Amino acid sequence: MKLKSATKLPSILSVVEASPLTDLTEVELTGCYISDLLSDVLANAQPGVLWVTIHIHRNVLSVASMKDIAAVLFTCGRKPEAAIVAEAVEKGIMLLSTPFSTYEAAGKLWKAGLR
Amino acid sequence: MSLAVPVEKKKTVAQGERHAGSVRRLKGVRARLNGTARRPAIAPERILKTGNSEEPMTPAAPAAAGEKAPNLGDKRQVSFAQVLVFELRVRDAMTSPPITATAADSLRSIQHLMKAHRISGVPILADDVLVGIVSIEDIINALDGGHINDPVEPWMSRKIVTLRDHFSLVRAVAEFDRHGYGRFPVLDTNNRLVGIITRGDITVCLMHHLERRAEEAMAKEAVLVATRAADEKAHRTVINTDVKSGDFESAGKLSQRMREVLRSRGIAPDVLRRAAIIAYEAETNIIIHSLGGRITTSIDAHKVRIKAVDSGPGIENIDLAMQEGWSTAGPLARELGFGAGMGLPNIKRCADEFAIQSELGSGTRLQATVFLRKAGVTL
Repeated sequence: MKLKSATKLPSILSVVEASPLTDLTEVELTGCYISDLLSDVLANAQPGVLWVTIHIHRNVLSVASMKDIAAVLFTCGRKPEAAIVAEAVEKGIMLLSTPFSTYEAAGKLWKAGLR
Repeated sequence: MSLAVPVEKKKTVAQGERHAGSVRRLKGVRARLNGTARRPAIAPERILKTGNSEEPMTPAAPAAAGEKAPNLGDKRQVSFAQVLVFELRVRDAMTSPPITATAADSLRSIQHLMKAHRISGVPILADDVLVGIVSIEDIINALDGGHINDPVEPWMSRKIVTLRDHFSLVRAVAEFDRHGYGRFPVLDTNNRLVGIITRGDITVCLMHHLERRAEEAMAKEAVLVATRAADEKAHRTVINTDVKSGDFESAGKLSQRMREVLRSRGIAPDVLRRAAIIAYEAETNIIIHSLGGRITTSIDAHKVRIKAVDSGPGIENIDLAMQEGWSTAGPLARELGFGAGMGLPNIKRCADEFAIQSELGSGTRLQATVFLRKAGVTL
């Protein structure tokens, strides 16, 4: 089913023209959460979601790992430094980067069926 | 012969020195402490001249009297004994009250006093004021010169070097080295004779205190071992972490460690997550808002208790701080995604028990408890 496949991680890549920063394993995303406020993510994000943010600081990893977030999508083409990518690999968090803004990415993801 | 010429005291250790070995050790301690073998000696106090002169020497300001405090900043280890010679005072080691005599007593009676009390020096008092001292050397001279039955007065030494009861032992050792006397009379700040001190007294005092410290250390160790055993029995793990103000790079380290412990115990993921969020928010609160603090996470079989204590500046209005969206975070914190004004509300929401106290100027104490449940167990 078309919609179903769009909620799996590697297929999201093409939707937002994202480049993977870590190795990607096939994972069913439970949904998506968009916020640039760490406490907001801590309070409201569900486990297993794709988190869309502009932050590339390592605190993103702390929060993501705490909430068992499956993958983080950095918008506006932002990419964290190598040490942070390495830490993400260690923590089992997948990282992606899209050239689109958060708003554009959100629209494309929604349209593709990630709800 | 009958002409009274006070015997000039020689620099000698013939006055019943019985602890040469330990003294050598003390000398070594002093030399190491100073980093030099010798240094300019401290001017001795001469009681007959100085009257009321009081050197500004208190334990709080040892430098004022020329003492060099052990430099703890360098990498050298400072032993217990070294600390002790600075900490302990002459009054801790001296023999008090001292055996004394008057100027009218005969040298023979002094000889008997020395024999009876096994001492080798007797201070001479006139109206409670120290006027002289008779050492065993004076007695030997008297026996040799045939004036052993004379009164003390013409034969006693009048040039007396004394120590103050508040001097440190390291200074006392320096005075022994400098003068070579076997003993010093000890005066208090009112120039009253309060004791007498020998090198042997210093050694005994040091040994006694070392033993006591060792016993204390052993007792402490025993308590620690017992606590650890009790912790083990209760499956208690305590993680203490100092959190530095502004250290955003370290945020999350504590909660990470706590999560590892909880995960290894098979705690349900949702419970684990709540505990982790509390620890993380508490950690970032200290980093963002405080001058630094400490988080103690105590995990046992039934609960996690997270205590966060910081050293200020304190929260002006806790009700406001507990309100979602209200934040005083600075621009740097906000740039990093903090300062949503959700930290404290998040902690409260995740906790089964929650308490916070804060006082402007002194700091904030937060305590949150999460009751544990293993994975697969539903309530």
